[in-house]
Amino acid sequence: MYVQLFGTCLVDSFFPEVGEATVQIFNKFGVDFTFPKEQTCCGQPAFNAGYLSESRDAAEHFINTFSGTDMIVTPSGSCAAMVKHHYPELFQDNPQMLEAARKVGERVYELSQFLVNVLYVHEAALTGSGSVTYHSSCHLTRTLGAVQEPQLLISAIKGMEFRPMPDATRCCGFGGVFMAKLPEISMAIADDKAESIIATGADIVTGCDCGCLMNISDALKKRGSAVKVKHIAELVAEAL
Amino acid sequence: MSVNDANVALFMENAAKVAAGLHQIAGKDELQGKLAEIVEQDVDVFCPKQTELEKFAAGFLDHLIPQYREAWVTVEEVTAAIAETGSIVCTSANGKAVQASLIPSHHVALVPREKIFATLDDFFVEYGVSPSTNMTIITGPSRTADIELNLVIGVHGPEKLDIIIV
Amino acid sequence: MNTQTSLNFRTNAAAAIKDSSLRKAMRNATETFGSKRTVAMASIDFEVLREKASAIRMEVINNLPAYIEKFTSNATAAGAIVHRAVDAKSANQIIAGILKDHDVKMVAKGKSMVSEETHLNAHLEEEGFEVVETDLGEYIIQLEGETPSHIIVPAIHKNRQQIGKLFHERLGMEYSEDPQALTKFARKVLREKFLTADAGISGANFAIAESGSLVLFTNEGNGRMVTSVPPLHIAILSVEKILPSLDELPTFMRLLPRSATGQMLTSYVSILTGNRKEGDVTGAQELHVVLLDNGRLEILKGDCREILKCIRCGACMNVCPVYRTVGGHSYGWTYPGPMGIILTTLLTGMANSYSLVDASTLCGACNDACPVKVPLKEMILKQRVRRVKEGYSSTAVSLGMGLFGMAIKHPLMFSTGETLASKFWSVMRTVGGENVAGRLPSPAKIPFSRRMS
Repeated sequence: MYVQLFGTCLVDSFFPEVGEATVQIFNKFGVDFTFPKEQTCCGQPAFNAGYLSESRDAAEHFINTFSGTDMIVTPSGSCAAMVKHHYPELFQDNPQMLEAARKVGERVYELSQFLVNVLYVHEAALTGSGSVTYHSSCHLTRTLGAVQEPQLLISAIKGMEFRPMPDATRCCGFGGVFMAKLPEISMAIADDKAESIIATGADIVTGCDCGCLMNISDALKKRGSAVKVKHIAELVAEAL
Repeated sequence: MSVNDANVALFMENAAKVAAGLHQIAGKDELQGKLAEIVEQDVDVFCPKQTELEKFAAGFLDHLIPQYREAWVTVEEVTAAIAETGSIVCTSANGKAVQASLIPSHHVALVPREKIFATLDDFFVEYGVSPSTNMTIITGPSRTADIELNLVIGVHGPEKLDIIIV
Repeated sequence: MNTQTSLNFRTNAAAAIKDSSLRKAMRNATETFGSKRTVAMASIDFEVLREKASAIRMEVINNLPAYIEKFTSNATAAGAIVHRAVDAKSANQIIAGILKDHDVKMVAKGKSMVSEETHLNAHLEEEGFEVVETDLGEYIIQLEGETPSHIIVPAIHKNRQQIGKLFHERLGMEYSEDPQALTKFARKVLREKFLTADAGISGANFAIAESGSLVLFTNEGNGRMVTSVPPLHIAILSVEKILPSLDELPTFMRLLPRSATGQMLTSYVSILTGNRKEGDVTGAQELHVVLLDNGRLEILKGDCREILKCIRCGACMNVCPVYRTVGGHSYGWTYPGPMGIILTTLLTGMANSYSLVDASTLCGACNDACPVKVPLKEMILKQRVRRVKEGYSSTAVSLGMGLFGMAIKHPLMFSTGETLASKFWSVMRTVGGENVAGRLPSPAKIPFSRRMS
């Protein structure tokens, strides 16, 4: 199969190791992939802030960059949701772009969805150690409906104990522009999430969105916690 | 089990969940004993004495007073009951004072078995067409959770509700 | 237009976050609401029921003027006197006028969020009437001189120690923190008010078009008291709270209490049809129904009209991570949480509310919880779009977005931006501040894209 990898702007700038872990998994499972060089950002920050014109520009650029018929895989639930669900909303008055947006959306997979539903990675031999808890990010869970996939991957790692946290689906407080607009509230919400994580006693917290994990990481640091924060890509890559 | 028995069983199950005292008697001859068990001694009692059942019950009640405002307990037959929610229904039809189930501290409701509806929908099919001035669906005694979401039974309405299925 | 001084959500919220007793109270509330709701929803098919409820509400909203007419006609036939109040001022004046005509001295009042919206109490007190709030939560905040912080549990931001102190200082009760003791004391104090009030004022959860009835969902008994004991009853509710007939009521009896408090059903559901008639010994001698517009018919014309489906259950604020953190007063007006963001913006205007539309992480938990499927998250986004269009977005943000928009289309510009950010990260940190840029890790020396070439 052929895959186009959408790294996302957060991975590009702040978490390249998540991109590298994704590539590592692709290589292990023989995925033929390309990294379209012109990619930048899905446009979510503009969309969430109400800037439709800039959002449309981002969408158009993405659609042009990821042309073709390959599957598009991205290690971000919120970016996948943006492309699949919000791009069509942006072009209601433009039938041609609307059709293009829909077609692109159909090809998009968030990473854990791809690993489980296409590659069956959760049936491969994965080994690890220690204990892990899981934050179920909002767009991933509520917009994409990818509830089981990340948990299947975690549970598949032999030797690693999965400790679900209560309120796993409660927002971590990142919210994209929200963390910059209302940082005090964002930090307070993140602190509640950190408390839930620490209460599980797990060594690691994992999730599918770097925005969330970044926010959670900061909150854990502020609490002086030694809990490690790993993206699902890193967790799985290390278990190969 | 007849439809009626099923309704009664479901009604009892749901009314129990809302802190209503529940009693079932096989017939009118058990009413005296049951009232003696439930109705407080030495308090003023109000009974409307409008229906046959009420007139019958009144014969076993001491300290009857003619109005509900000063009474500690009201003993009355209610219009209907609903199994789905464990509720009883009081209406103002036929000159009934619905406040009698509100102002006194203790409400003793007599429910004839055949007046128990299975569902809310069934109830409204019959009573929703030309509703009387006041129709009150009562599910348990009064309550509040306004202080720290801590449940307290008995606020402005009755503090105690006893239901006798006849 | 509702007048309201511009609220600054961020400032309000910052103060709330530092209030540890408020945080604790909100936490307790959220946990309790959450677990109760889960238990309650287990006994119904929520998705099926809320689809049905949404359809019923849309039917009414799509034909609202006709339903208002129908209700008015049938309520009048049942003996009620129906008034249409175009705005808050009008509603307050109508009600004050009715009270004056009847020589009323003291009013016993049941809970009504719409009366908070119009500031009814303040107006009536100015006009010389004594108004006693009888819902326990409303009574507490009336004594304290505060406004409700939640639409169902108005005093949720207060703890038992604060209430104990309040009752001791204001009512002369011997200090107790026991909710039971405090409630029983309130029962005693307010009983006298119910039985001697010249008039009762209440809200209503629904108006039934076909029968001309009002429906009240209550637990305490005060709602029953104020609507049936005094000789005069005035009910105030907003125009969109209509259901077609009593046949539609069961769906809402199954959804509203479960969504609001996690109860299967409230202790009382009162269905009031007109005033006391020949042969009745129950019912107010005179019943007035005030139907308030105050901007709703204007909302009907716009793209957020689905907010009019709202049945005021409070479920959205109970699941909202922002509300849970800052409480209701931060929202600066009558309605807090997700539905509050939308209603405040639509009813008080963008000039007043522009900071409020930021009060959401767009997590979508509210959409999942709403028993009438109001697309709250989408509406908040719509208000953000509107904010940009109407010019209420800050210059800095607009400039930033403009640059961002350009960079997205030009990969070279984008990667240059990344390089600059990485090189000058310490400057970015200082400019961005500890609370924003300080929470981000340092940018990678080599971005992922460069590793892929």
